[in-house]
Amino acid sequence: MDLTLNEDQLAVEGAIDKLAGQFTTSPVDFHGFTLVSDELDKELEEGGYFEIAVVPEMGALSAAVSVERLARLPYTAEVALSMLVRPHLDIELLRPFAVIENGRPGRFVASAKTLIIIDGESVGIAHPEPADAEAMPDSLFAYPMGRLVCSPDVKQLPAEQAATVKTWLRVALASEMAGLMQAALDATVEHVSVRKQFGRPLGTFQALRHRLSECAVLTGGVRWLALKAACTGDAGDAALAALLAQDSATRLIYDVHQMSGAMGMTLEMDLHLWTYRMKALLSELGGRGAQANVVAEHCF
Amino acid sequence: MDFNWTQEQQEFRSTIRAFLDATLPEDWEHIAHGPASKEQTVFAKKFCGALAEAGLLVPHWPEEWGGRDADPWQAFILAEEMWMAGEPRGGQYMNVNWIGPTLMLFGSEEQKERYIPLLARGETLWCQGFSEPESGSDLASLRTRATKEGEVYKINGQKIWTSYAGDADTCFCLARTSEGKGGISIFLIPMDTPGITVRDIPSIIGEGDIHEVFFDNVEVPASARLGEEGQAWEIVSKALSMERVGIPRFALASKTLKDAISLLKKEERFGPGVVEQAAKAHAACEVARLYSYQIIDQRAKNIPTGPEASVGRFSTVVCERLVSEFVVEHVPEAISGVHPMLLAHHQRGIVAGIASGAAEIQLNIIATQFLELPREPR
Repeated sequence: MDLTLNEDQLAVEGAIDKLAGQFTTSPVDFHGFTLVSDELDKELEEGGYFEIAVVPEMGALSAAVSVERLARLPYTAEVALSMLVRPHLDIELLRPFAVIENGRPGRFVASAKTLIIIDGESVGIAHPEPADAEAMPDSLFAYPMGRLVCSPDVKQLPAEQAATVKTWLRVALASEMAGLMQAALDATVEHVSVRKQFGRPLGTFQALRHRLSECAVLTGGVRWLALKAACTGDAGDAALAALLAQDSATRLIYDVHQMSGAMGMTLEMDLHLWTYRMKALLSELGGRGAQANVVAEHCF
Repeated sequence: MDFNWTQEQQEFRSTIRAFLDATLPEDWEHIAHGPASKEQTVFAKKFCGALAEAGLLVPHWPEEWGGRDADPWQAFILAEEMWMAGEPRGGQYMNVNWIGPTLMLFGSEEQKERYIPLLARGETLWCQGFSEPESGSDLASLRTRATKEGEVYKINGQKIWTSYAGDADTCFCLARTSEGKGGISIFLIPMDTPGITVRDIPSIIGEGDIHEVFFDNVEVPASARLGEEGQAWEIVSKALSMERVGIPRFALASKTLKDAISLLKKEERFGPGVVEQAAKAHAACEVARLYSYQIIDQRAKNIPTGPEASVGRFSTVVCERLVSEFVVEHVPEAISGVHPMLLAHHQRGIVAGIASGAAEIQLNIIATQFLELPREPR
């Protein structure tokens, strides 16, 4: 048992933080829902970061740490599936990746070169043509959402590989959620530390302090379960991490918006970028009920 | 980062399990009810003696004091196994976790020689004289007073909610020697000293756990004072930091949840709604486990533990609550005594958010020290 990142893992985390440093502030004139950075994507690609999970010294844990750190940014790119799921399919598959679950719209679908098609229990892979998908620019989810308008050819995966893909989708979801939760929490802590009412910062009121502390405990908990699942690759661990991520984010989203008041409702504060990304993740892979069933199957 | 146990750690766990299998009597689950019953306290003395003989009572203590300098992981594995078994050490778990180590750090040579060997042999029970009727979370407001008269102190006042006081040999007692937070001192008081009266307070936790302790002109020599006058806050902070993650409550909560699920499955009562609630409780147990392991990892690497101890403890309170609620809702017969070990967990778990610093105090610490929110006005 060793719960500290080793030198290689720390080096990856440091490099990711350095790379992310140039993307930590949203443009002053940005008042939208979808803040995508092609530049971030390009730098990660050129730095070989999408392949770190298959490098023995780094592994899936480093990938999960990276996904968590990058999810804290106001900018988004298709990171989690490429870093954590692609290595379990074929590292040569073209990215970006996206998931279509039971025909519903999905994140990054309009730009994806590889689609993971989930239909009930079956999982398949498709490579859509540009005309197969359309963007949904009016979505509130703060990812570039898209949907299929044609049905591309789908190559079904054998059951064992399908289960593996679902496991790593859950690891990706939990890792990304941990970073989103941390960013939303950080933004809210900053807000209540400076915003004064009744002559003192909101953050001095115990009613808010306790709730924020609980949010911090939840956020760290999601990160721990995500990292453990990335380390073990165990289906039960992954489902447990995804369950906690979806359950904890549900609570945290309410609290951070409540404490940010009307400011958090505006597109001038970046809070919605993280909370509406979290909301997009809440329903994925069947939501809490489905994760719980997988937990029960593997852990009880 | 590695979430696997080493070979040595696995072997140590197996050794403890083998010891428990060989030592716990067949009717253990009937003795294990409530953490401080007479029956369990008597059993604990016998059990701790055997544990000490097997080198498993204080392995993490220095060799000088009966240990073998085992690392913090072994100490925690030992604690996990004991809690999962229903804590057959009874109130002596406190000796191992913090009373002994605190005496080693702050005790006089005389105090060390007098008390530590008894602790290391499992022959003594202590109680913790902290809370008072008007001083719970606001411990610094305590009123019990120690007045120096020549070479002795006279102690007057009252403690309350004191666990194990009915059978304890010694009290680790806080008393005021002057005003303010810096005016509190610690006294190690034999419980048979004239002037001490103990009254049992019946409680949900079970017989023998909660007491009032009255000090009426209790005279102790100056040599009974631990550390300097006014040093209590420093010593207690250190002791509580050991205590906060010293009890792996998540281990018993996790085992209780699994036992409850097994019962429900056997009786085909593990339906869809129940599954989701169980999975959430399991997630909470695993979070508490990893937060606790994070702190043990820091201890093993000599990294000072900060507010993470409060994060760990709060997560433990959450998991205790979810497991307890699960059992009450889905295995209610346990609370009526049909499943003694589930009841034993309920009685131990119900105090998780209150004992050793209320959960809300942990949230205050997290807010100020972990999130660095501006402080509340006082």
